[in-house]
Amino acid sequence: MRYTPLYKDHLGRGAKMMTFHGWCMPLQFSGIINEHLHTRSKVSLFDCSHMGEFLLKGAKAIRAFESMVFNDMICLKVGRCRYTSILDVCGGIIDDVITMRLSEDELFVVTNSGPCERVSRTLYRVCMAQDLSPTLSKIDVQGPLSRDLMLKVGFRDIEPLKYFTVCRTRWRDAGIVVSRGGYTGELGYEIFVPNALAVPLWKELLAREDAAPAGLGARDTLRLEMGYTLYGQDVDESHTTLEAGMGRFIDWDSDFHAKEFLLMQRQMGRYKIRTGIQTCDRRAPRTGHEVFYEGKPVGVVTSGSFGPSVGRGIGMAYVPLELSAPGTRLTVGPKDLEVETVEFPFYKNGSCRA
Amino acid sequence: MNPKHLKYSENHEWVRDDGGAYVVGITEYAAEQLGDITYVELPQVGEGFAQDDEAATVESVKAASEVYSPVGGTVVAINEALDEHPELINKGPYEQGWMFKLEDVDVAEFHSLMDATAYDKFLKEL
Repeated sequence: MRYTPLYKDHLGRGAKMMTFHGWCMPLQFSGIINEHLHTRSKVSLFDCSHMGEFLLKGAKAIRAFESMVFNDMICLKVGRCRYTSILDVCGGIIDDVITMRLSEDELFVVTNSGPCERVSRTLYRVCMAQDLSPTLSKIDVQGPLSRDLMLKVGFRDIEPLKYFTVCRTRWRDAGIVVSRGGYTGELGYEIFVPNALAVPLWKELLAREDAAPAGLGARDTLRLEMGYTLYGQDVDESHTTLEAGMGRFIDWDSDFHAKEFLLMQRQMGRYKIRTGIQTCDRRAPRTGHEVFYEGKPVGVVTSGSFGPSVGRGIGMAYVPLELSAPGTRLTVGPKDLEVETVEFPFYKNGSCRA
Repeated sequence: MNPKHLKYSENHEWVRDDGGAYVVGITEYAAEQLGDITYVELPQVGEGFAQDDEAATVESVKAASEVYSPVGGTVVAINEALDEHPELINKGPYEQGWMFKLEDVDVAEFHSLMDATAYDKFLKEL
């Protein structure tokens, strides 16, 4: 089992812990729905130190990285972030990542904890990437009041940050990276801080009014309401980036190693695509439920839960392209729960671009 | 710990003798394990169950699970407040979170269930 620098602090705050990809992480503090609603209305702190961070240096390394992902990296402007996926040659998703151009010469890549070791090997082999994960903790500050909280704690440099941009700044004389984004749909920041400063920073943030800790349970319902994927559950190597519904992010002018395969798949058009489903009441589709159309099995649910801010059951399922159009009526699970396909996101009032 | 005047099943349901009628719910332990409850599917009034029949479904953010009737009987009332406020089960599993009320109950089945002391011990050994 692996522990983040904040582990003891979580226990002290009464967190219920869980195992997530070999890490001992907080599932919840005050309760999943409470933490979820707090994030949508005030500001929550998430310990995301289980995630991976890699540094690519130089044009050669960035170009090599670009050959594995589905969009342009060389032209990513300094200070900007971009969502992408590291693909295998058949377009399967090895990991979905956020890339951040820290300087002309440096690309910072934030990965999931799940496939981290494989990604680490791949990034080292292809791009000589430096794995910073063992030295860095990641704290996500999420919610409409997150900017106020960051300013109160003294992060003055973050004020001009727009959605999906990044800057280097300092906290207590240590160099840190702050990006604006997150996984909740709310205004928020991701702070990458040296391990030794994780506990003092976490405590300082939580000492302020309106700030509360939140666990992976709320993180899951928040991201599900936004239609964001969870790696290892909604997307993985067995699904291509087209199947994962990321087609709109693909830069077809970029040359990457899975392009031919994905072009072929797009042309044939016969695949299952990740699709939003919702119920008409509080009942929820569940991970692993089979999906039926006119009584015939057509796919499977990869995530499902009650959405606390939308007040109904929501989920993601892989269904044939021709059944993915909004408004298709399907049933899921052993009790034939009725669902309807809908476009992501389920929750439309997030403050992330505010 | 768990209230003395109730009987308990190994599936973590409780039963209260309300003078001839028997009120059923899930225990504090069950509610805590499920976490925030988001939906409750109750039986219909008039429906009959044998002991350990599936009688209701409770869904939480984390999972869905069945509730088994700890004694056989006929449903004479259901807690309709749970439709709009399933979280009442988390708030008060032994009071406002009750689920359904049975009649025509075999008293021997009721007495075969665990008392609070036995249930507390059962929980410790889980």
